[in-house]
Amino acid sequence: MAEHISPRVNAARLGEFIGRTVRLTCKVVRSQGETAIVQAPDGGELSVRVARDVSLAVPYIEIIGTVVDAATVKMLACIDLGDELDMDLVNDAVELWHDPRFANII
Amino acid sequence: MSQYGENPFYGNAGGGGYLAGGSPFGSASGSPGGLRKAGALHSLRPVTIKQLLNATQAHSDAEWSIDEVEVGQITVVAQVVSITSQTTNCVYWLDDGTGRIEARHWVDVGTEDDAERWGGITENTYIRVMGSLKSFGNKRYINATHLRRIKDPNEIQFHILETFTVYMIFQKGAPLRPSEAGSRAAVANGNGAASAYNPQSTAAGGMEQYAHLPSIQRRIVAFMMSQPQQTEGTHVAAIARNIGGDANAISEALDRLMDEGHVFTTIDDSHFALST
Repeated sequence: MAEHISPRVNAARLGEFIGRTVRLTCKVVRSQGETAIVQAPDGGELSVRVARDVSLAVPYIEIIGTVVDAATVKMLACIDLGDELDMDLVNDAVELWHDPRFANII
Repeated sequence: MSQYGENPFYGNAGGGGYLAGGSPFGSASGSPGGLRKAGALHSLRPVTIKQLLNATQAHSDAEWSIDEVEVGQITVVAQVVSITSQTTNCVYWLDDGTGRIEARHWVDVGTEDDAERWGGITENTYIRVMGSLKSFGNKRYINATHLRRIKDPNEIQFHILETFTVYMIFQKGAPLRPSEAGSRAAVANGNGAASAYNPQSTAAGGMEQYAHLPSIQRRIVAFMMSQPQQTEGTHVAAIARNIGGDANAISEALDRLMDEGHVFTTIDDSHFALST
């Protein structure tokens, strides 16, 4: 089942997963056609290659995608999360995701 | 074997699982070994899909165990990757970032529940599922008794944190309140978990439950906590000496504390003990 693991990341950790599928909860800053600029839970800005026919309707989304480089993600799927989300909480969860104590259950 | 096979808060949430998100759990009491087995079946544990995929079973009809702890009902928060609707059941393929698993929801033909159940759930949304782990041949799946769409996205993070917390509690035991002395803590935690005045005690300071009290009452409680614990409690003169101030104010504060149930008199009206 290793192929279905998508670690949660923020901007700082993106570089560790180049070429892999990750889950990024983020806020849409700017959306320009095929590229969007999003803000990751730790505040860093990343660029996202948006899949065709996807319009980013809500500010907070979760992107499942492959990491192109340390600042770019290519979107495979996108989940709408709504208008309000506590990004500090999201970042705490992301950091704990990578805590070695929980490596067994992640 | 962990003595926390039964978490008292989740012990009340079995069968049908209407507790969305689980309740805040206080320090779990060490339940007697005999109760543990029955208790596990009625417990509700937040887990990641990876934990479900790694769960073990002694033989095909035995209970499932996660990290050597028996599990009863489980709850996950995950993204719906696909939905396959059949006549008797609905199969949701779930992904929470740690793995993928099927959740099967059996629908009664002709009941009104159906529309509500799979009407609100669409692909590429997050849902919360409650149910039990089952396997059919070699394939594991969740027999879902309850599914609902996540309305507040913070619940996704909440579930992650709650899963980690429960994982840590099963490994290391419940977080202790630092101001509590040894044996009293074991008794206090046991009663405290069910106590109406002690809804949320996680780590940080045994004084949390008294935080809403006026300062003089808090100081009295803190002083009483710091005394060596005897059955007859603390004498009011000792309290007065330590807190200082007006004797009437102290007397009134003690009365308030008694009304709230935080203290009670022991051998006579001058001795007070903290209730837990």
